[in-house]
Amino acid sequence: MKKLCTVFLCLLLHSWVWAQENIYPVNGVRDNRLGIYLFTNATIFQDYQTRLDKASLLIKDGVVEAVGTNLEAPEGARVIDLQGKFIYPSLIDLYSNYGLSPVPETKPFSYGDKEQLERKTEGPYSTNDAIKSHYNAVEDFAVKDEEATLYREIGFGAVLTNKRDGLARGSSSLVTLSDEAPNKVVLIPQAAAHYSFDKGSSTQYYPISKMGFIALLRQTYLDAAWYQSAANQDYSDISLQAWNSLQDLPQIFDAPGWLQMLRADKLGDEFGKQYILCGSGDEYQRLEEIKATQAPLIVPVNFPAPFDVNDPYDAQDIDLEEMMHWELAPTNLSHLAEEGLEFTITSNGLKDKKEFWPNLRKAIQHGLSEEAALKALTYTPARLLRAENQLGSLNKGVAANFLVTSGNIFEKDAVIYENWIQGKPFVLADREASNLEGVYTLTVGDQSYSMEVSGQPGKHQFALAKDTTDTKINATVQGDMVTLTFAPDSQNNELVRLSGWVEGKNLKGKGQQPDGSWIPWTATYQKALSPSPESASPQESEPASTEELADILYPFLPFGNPQLPQAKTYLIKNATVWTNEAEGIIENTDVLVRDGKIAQVGNNLSDNNAEVIDGSGKHLTSGIIDEHSHIALSSVNDVATSSSMVRMKDVVDPVDIDIYRQLSGGVTASQLLHGSANPIGGQSAIVKLRWGAAPEDMLIEGADEFIKFALGENVKRSSNENSVRYPQTRMGVEQVYMDAFTQAKAYDETWKNYNALSAKEKGKAVAPRRDLALEALAEIINKERFVTCHSYVQSEINMMMHVAEHFGFNINTFTHILEGYKVADKMAAHGVGGSTFADWWAYKFEVRYAIPYNATLMNMAGVTTAINSDDAEMARRLNQEAAKSVKYGGMTEEEAWKMVTLNPAKLLHLDDRMGSVKVGKDADLVLWSDHPLSIYAKVEKNMIDGSIYYDLEEDTKKREMIAQERARLVQKMQFAKENGAPTQAAAGKVKQRFHCEDLFFGKISE
Amino acid sequence: MKISQLVILLIAFTGTAGLAQVPAPGAPQSQPILLTGGTVHVGNGEVIENAAVAFDKGKITWVGKASEVNQDTVSYEVIEVEGKHVYPGFILPNTDIGLKEIGAVRATVDNNETGALNPNVRALISYNTDSELIPTIRFNGILLAQVAPQGSMVPGTSSIVHLDAWNWEDAAVVEDDAMHLNWPGRFTADFDFTTFTVNRKLNEEYTPQVRMLEELFADAAAYHQLGEPQITNLKLEAMKGLFEGSKALFIHSDEPREIIESVNFAQQHGVKRIVLVSGTGVNLVKDFIKEKSIPVIVSNLHVLPETTDDDVDMPYKLPYLLSQEGILVGLGYEADMNAGARNLPFIAGTAAAYGLDKEAALQLITANNAKIMGIEDQAGTLEEGKRAILFVSAGDALDMRSNQVDMAFVDGRQITLPAMQQRLFEKYEKKYSQEGDAKME
Repeated sequence: MKKLCTVFLCLLLHSWVWAQENIYPVNGVRDNRLGIYLFTNATIFQDYQTRLDKASLLIKDGVVEAVGTNLEAPEGARVIDLQGKFIYPSLIDLYSNYGLSPVPETKPFSYGDKEQLERKTEGPYSTNDAIKSHYNAVEDFAVKDEEATLYREIGFGAVLTNKRDGLARGSSSLVTLSDEAPNKVVLIPQAAAHYSFDKGSSTQYYPISKMGFIALLRQTYLDAAWYQSAANQDYSDISLQAWNSLQDLPQIFDAPGWLQMLRADKLGDEFGKQYILCGSGDEYQRLEEIKATQAPLIVPVNFPAPFDVNDPYDAQDIDLEEMMHWELAPTNLSHLAEEGLEFTITSNGLKDKKEFWPNLRKAIQHGLSEEAALKALTYTPARLLRAENQLGSLNKGVAANFLVTSGNIFEKDAVIYENWIQGKPFVLADREASNLEGVYTLTVGDQSYSMEVSGQPGKHQFALAKDTTDTKINATVQGDMVTLTFAPDSQNNELVRLSGWVEGKNLKGKGQQPDGSWIPWTATYQKALSPSPESASPQESEPASTEELADILYPFLPFGNPQLPQAKTYLIKNATVWTNEAEGIIENTDVLVRDGKIAQVGNNLSDNNAEVIDGSGKHLTSGIIDEHSHIALSSVNDVATSSSMVRMKDVVDPVDIDIYRQLSGGVTASQLLHGSANPIGGQSAIVKLRWGAAPEDMLIEGADEFIKFALGENVKRSSNENSVRYPQTRMGVEQVYMDAFTQAKAYDETWKNYNALSAKEKGKAVAPRRDLALEALAEIINKERFVTCHSYVQSEINMMMHVAEHFGFNINTFTHILEGYKVADKMAAHGVGGSTFADWWAYKFEVRYAIPYNATLMNMAGVTTAINSDDAEMARRLNQEAAKSVKYGGMTEEEAWKMVTLNPAKLLHLDDRMGSVKVGKDADLVLWSDHPLSIYAKVEKNMIDGSIYYDLEEDTKKREMIAQERARLVQKMQFAKENGAPTQAAAGKVKQRFHCEDLFFGKISE
Repeated sequence: MKISQLVILLIAFTGTAGLAQVPAPGAPQSQPILLTGGTVHVGNGEVIENAAVAFDKGKITWVGKASEVNQDTVSYEVIEVEGKHVYPGFILPNTDIGLKEIGAVRATVDNNETGALNPNVRALISYNTDSELIPTIRFNGILLAQVAPQGSMVPGTSSIVHLDAWNWEDAAVVEDDAMHLNWPGRFTADFDFTTFTVNRKLNEEYTPQVRMLEELFADAAAYHQLGEPQITNLKLEAMKGLFEGSKALFIHSDEPREIIESVNFAQQHGVKRIVLVSGTGVNLVKDFIKEKSIPVIVSNLHVLPETTDDDVDMPYKLPYLLSQEGILVGLGYEADMNAGARNLPFIAGTAAAYGLDKEAALQLITANNAKIMGIEDQAGTLEEGKRAILFVSAGDALDMRSNQVDMAFVDGRQITLPAMQQRLFEKYEKKYSQEGDAKME
């Protein structure tokens, strides 16, 4: 296949010769033209950085022959004088689906439907319909002139076209936008390979989550390697075969949003791929991390429209960060250029492609240099596709793709007259049009007016200049013929209609009055148009450098910080300290924090470098640890019965306001768990709530690895009457585990045997296939990964412990565990902890016997017991939830407090560095205004690793700043609207919050 | 079967059956009762230390300083409550407790009738006094509730009940007290399963929905003018009380513009008593609400702020912000998990943590809720002549740290507080302490 492609490619490289070959049959007499043109006297950008004045361009048979200042016209050449005009290489768009079949529309996912567990694609293709690596754009491509016109009108000469369907999207083709036969316009049939985090038209059940998309791509990389290894004896897979054949091409990943870009890059790093990343224009929000990817970028200029803020009530629904992004989006490209990132600009994402130039010019106003813009639209896309010899400049031998413009293309009124593609002109405006710019005296019968003609030849605007306002004249200029229509009296709409022609510097002709009578008219040239400051809209004329702009906040949310908080030396004096150690609760105690750790606990401590915090009358505790949380995640559930291959670490989203809100409730660390849609869920991410950190920096370094299991109603899909997925009963749930661990054990042995071989023996042997799902289960058997198991009723809890014991491991934690009190003695014997709700019950059948005494009873039986949230709202008052065990069952306050601090730290194997106020432990500390178990207690300070991430006083200041920023941006949006900017409705956003089970949106279904 | 076997079986059966049943309602008050020595929280902001409360035949007969009790208390059952706190029974408005037992089991859910306009649908007859949820909310001091239908635009009519009854008829405090109106939103939130995101978009049905309500209220007002309609229209009949003031209209809306629109709508149609049930959306239109003298039930405090810009304590301080304006504010516990309503005292505590004086916070769920629901002459405060619906807590009942309800009375009848959850606790506490003992040996 590859060889064939190369032959095809060679043929195509010479495709412009075909025009002269008589390959195409013609209906009539063959009409081959000479196709030699010499353009003279133009300002030519030979490439983005080489400007030649008074220069000439010679093209022949659709290819550039020469560029220079002293070119002679060869015999047979048509000489075109472009005095005053500019020539640029045509633009290239790397993000297009031009000429391809549409993505089939499929029914969106719904949890109420019967699951499609198998692929639908027939034939030996991938086992998952979201892997469409076998898609070959060139076989799907057709020349579609209507689509091409939209690109040509804004100056594009070639696009890279790929169908946006699937996680692996196969190949793209580099094609020109000429209307010639596809055989001619296809420049590179297989130009790049494409990937995304969007399953597209696949209706196959797995995967549905962001981490599932990543897991499936990872497994496909592994399978592709296995496929072409000796280990594969007789398995045929056209998708994997195609996948392998595309690996040497440029690899393009469609990853809208910087968060997805970072994830894609991480995926690429694992498999030695440097993707070209296709973003969404928010890269400025996380520039440092984006830069570190070293990836070339494809970036749009689809800046958001201002919101309609007319109604102050409605405007309240718009989140500040959306307004900030509206203001800052046009600065994105200049940020990228300043940081030296390699990028190309796409017209993709624009609702109307005509917005391309106004938006690009806006970016230039905000500091993007013209050279950088031209590079990003010509040289860089060609280079990224290794097609510098074909496109992107006007060097000898490249395709004759170029633009003829009225002048500097980046200036406001610039007109693109012609877009030449492969030597064929596509005329957009009349280059020969007379320059009519000036002030005229328009005489119609006995009336006379002052008329102004502005703009570039071919795109002139006509207006009657009156005292204060201009009356627009509807004008058509065709060659030397002119038609003008206007209403002299703005009070009525009676129109005067004039027809005439250009004569010297003047216009003249005949016209009809509103009453139908014919009269002669003339327009006599008076003087040149003086440049008026009003011609540019006030917003645009404002120099970007002096414009007030929103700060870039980390995270990009209200309450974010322009700089991340820094760890300092702090001395908290005279507080009531809840140590969670043998010392218990000690009053009037000092705690010294240094280098992110608790340095000293005692009386009369001092440190000259320390910032002193008065703790008198206040309580100091270690931070709350939420053993069960789903905040700061892009997805929660995937749906394969065994989803052990998915990793929550892949989808941590630090731009979540709930992080800040939970800091205000004293939380410092959380286990971000997979949902409960399946018996074997995904791998956990354990984070500290470092507000503003990059996703990877949220993770707790060196923490043990965990995984989520789940039992009961959710995994047997009780809420879906149409469900066919195994298991449907608790009996089946046990068998899922028995099967999975039986397989995992065998898998583990295979790998252990292989890994035991010497290097020499390994050379002869064939490596077994890596299976990410089984690998994670093998880790459990090997006690390298620990299970947090969602569970409710006693029968299943008992079962789970038996299964684990059968395979020689222990369940680490039962979470929810509302009937834990019924088998707490067995749990204690097994050594498993319980992480439960204080008082949730009655929302589904399996929690009918959930009681608020559960925590007390488990604790009494010797189970390490924690109270968790599983809820973004409740997480900010876990101290109160812990207090409920004092009420229900009479737990001591100290024991109750440990249930949200030390005990979850134990359950997460982090108690050696977290969970108590002890010298040497992490300085994750919370200062409370009152007894921490009291409803009246508020968090005054929340510190993680010695950095204060929440401070009640700072919070007050932030509120004021937010109010000011809102007011400023609302005014600015209103101003933009009044200056004619189209607006978007103030519909606002609604945040999607996850519970353990996000299967029923809007309902608690825990 | 031998008789002895039968006896054993019977005992075993009644034993199990006992576990699954809610406690029997308390026996009628047979003698006057005097609670003395405790701190009395009257419910209207007043606190009396070393106080006494007397009640007889189900009514409060005296409240004051314990030292000032000048009645002959020989016939009284005198209960010493020194160091403890006496509160009026807390009032839970706008709940579907008794209508929905287990949310995920459809057969146990009776809170939401089909159809957009159901003014005639009555929650009361569906209210199940044997719901297992009821003892759990009484356990924390909630003794009265407004049981309200949920769902459609006009889901129906609520009733006010006390929480210690044999059946709904006995439970009723005010039958059909209010009609509920879920005012439509101009924007709707749609969950997009293709992208797993929520999109907020204009509700294209808004105008037709409002027109439907216009027609309903205009027709009901016209119908109300008729003395004797030829044919009874059940829906319009059910709305008559709105124009007479015998039935309140509870408007549920959390969007500023919709609040203004819906309140104006109800007033223009001649509705006499309007109550707004709302969240933080009301904060932007509080002057309007004040001007119109509309009382507000804050639907819940244990909710997150609406937008990212909102103050982190926004819902918590809402009762304070509204009270500051002089608006009559009550507090509810609206949540999909209706069992959570047992935490009503603690969200009142939250209101105290975020701006309100503790007694003013208490007032939200006692005097204010009573006044808003139109039962202030019967309940809501510990005052002479009111129904003896009250409880004693070992500590501050608004704080979970100290809320320990020792005894509670409904119409003077002492009610049984422990129920299934407490019995399960005892059962397993015994199991583990025995096992512990066994290990010790």
